[in-house]
Amino acid sequence: MTDPREKLVVGAGWQEKLVDALHGDNVRVLAPVLTEGTAEFREISAAAEMATEWINTRTPVKAVLFPRTEALVEFERRPGEDVQFTAADNEAVPTVVLGARPCDLNALDVLDTVFNWDYRDKLYAERRAATTFVGVACTRSDEACFCTGMGGRADDNEGSDLFVRPMPDGGAVLEVMNERGAALAKRLDGAAPAVGTEELVPPAQVGAGPFDTEKVKEWLDTHFDDDFWTDMSLKCLGCGACSYLCPTCHCFDIVDESDWRKGQRRRNWDCCSFAQFTKHASGHNPRPEQHSRCRNRIMHKFKYFIDRFGRKACVGCGRCIRVCGAGQDLVDILAEITTAAS
Amino acid sequence: MAQNLTKSGDIYVPQIATLVRKERLTELETFFEIQLESNQPLGHRPGQFVMVSLPGLGEAPISVSSRPVGNTFELVVRRIGRLTTAMHRMEVGDKLGIRGPFGTDFPVNTFRGQDVLFICGGIGLVPVRGAILEVLANRAAYGHVAILYGTRGPSERLFVDDLARWKAREDVTFLETVDRGSDAWDGNVGVITTLIPKIEIAPERTAVVVCGPPIMYKFVLMELYQQNVPKENIYVSLERRMKCGVGKCGHCQINGLYTCLDGPVFRYADVSDVREAI
Repeated sequence: MTDPREKLVVGAGWQEKLVDALHGDNVRVLAPVLTEGTAEFREISAAAEMATEWINTRTPVKAVLFPRTEALVEFERRPGEDVQFTAADNEAVPTVVLGARPCDLNALDVLDTVFNWDYRDKLYAERRAATTFVGVACTRSDEACFCTGMGGRADDNEGSDLFVRPMPDGGAVLEVMNERGAALAKRLDGAAPAVGTEELVPPAQVGAGPFDTEKVKEWLDTHFDDDFWTDMSLKCLGCGACSYLCPTCHCFDIVDESDWRKGQRRRNWDCCSFAQFTKHASGHNPRPEQHSRCRNRIMHKFKYFIDRFGRKACVGCGRCIRVCGAGQDLVDILAEITTAAS
Repeated sequence: MAQNLTKSGDIYVPQIATLVRKERLTELETFFEIQLESNQPLGHRPGQFVMVSLPGLGEAPISVSSRPVGNTFELVVRRIGRLTTAMHRMEVGDKLGIRGPFGTDFPVNTFRGQDVLFICGGIGLVPVRGAILEVLANRAAYGHVAILYGTRGPSERLFVDDLARWKAREDVTFLETVDRGSDAWDGNVGVITTLIPKIEIAPERTAVVVCGPPIMYKFVLMELYQQNVPKENIYVSLERRMKCGVGKCGHCQINGLYTCLDGPVFRYADVSDVREAI
């Protein structure tokens, strides 16, 4: 939690006003839209399209900045000319993401770190610079949510440019967190202020108690070789769904897609649980068994990333738990490690 | 760097280069001399790598085998997958994409005044060759220089002209071996570790460069341990399946290390306790 620069109380209808104002400025608005019961970030043309009751989107907000697939390079052969490689057009259009959850916004710090350390990833950075994030406090949770286990909370404003605390009557308290949030709040000048008390919808209760992630790391520091990894990996299918939907996972593959004349070099989400992920052309594979890959996934989030960049790479969104077809549960894994470490 | 690849530029866009010379070295390995379209030097240091690409076939990390002199640079590529097979079919004058150079190098300038021992297995000679040539070009600056080279068989020896030159030099100890000999082979037969006891090593003042297949490291490093060579004096070049080369894609990670930026050349003392590294 960070103290906001400024607070603004707005009455019901503020979303309509904001969305209309942004569209007037030719700004793209993405918001959670319910499709067959699943919320996903979609471009909306009116605030009414936005979901009202949703826990979290199936795909994390990372996909706005780091899409599932995107072109990096274009190439073309013209008769009589040499092939040319050119940078793919970056679709960094001015965007406001309305309705991101605190866990997902907390995770942007991980992506910012990776895409900007040493070499700067222009595609990510330009999209990041063109995007404003309006976070919304969670008022509902499910049994997979465990942000509190990772030191977060359902109404954490960290990572938001503008943070929304909903009120029961449709109004909200808006917290301006930075310059970008202030620019957005300006577009709400004249929104009907709420009348009466600033009573908030209570933030969601999230069940998970805080994990002692330092203790988890201490155990990981000394247990690279442990039967635990074999045991926990036995049910892993190696499907990669946990990584794809993880708001902090950022590995990608680079592949060419082309016909004989022209094509693109694209990057696609990848996953360290895949058997081919580290396999060399020679056939040698530094992580040859599934347990070594499952271990890498846990180690990366709770040890390697901390060693390298000083923070853990998990925000407790619970997507890996919801999506796992084999019932793998990260909360159980962390609980087991915590027990083993005690 | 004499090229468009700056730390904040279009880091995934290759520059065009031309194949200016091509020579088959063995059944599987071919030598490529390459010139950037800008006609600028690659600007590499021995041990670094480039991402080589052909449109439609993708990219692969390939070590540079030449010294950083002149406006061209050299690669040796084993024909093993789709991209490398297509490279072997290229003709002089054909174009390809180059990104880089990337990664760490063999810090041969810091070896000045010391003895230098190079231990290479098979295609592991490729990334080390530039370092060997660099040391030999400044031969007087170094103490004793020894090169040990092992291949599976006589037909897999790379850079045979270089090998003959090194063997002929009086100021270089050059020993080689093959795992399996042939009728025409009258040299040593046996794995590369059998060469190490044949030379004299002054452990405290010898810099050792090791490069070869994964299995070779284990045995060579054990032998160097037997010879009391400190881990701080040993440099290894590790292979990983790099995709981006710029510390983003995650493919080359060894625990918290990015092989593309922290490596491929590591001081052994820095990775001996890193699991999965060797």
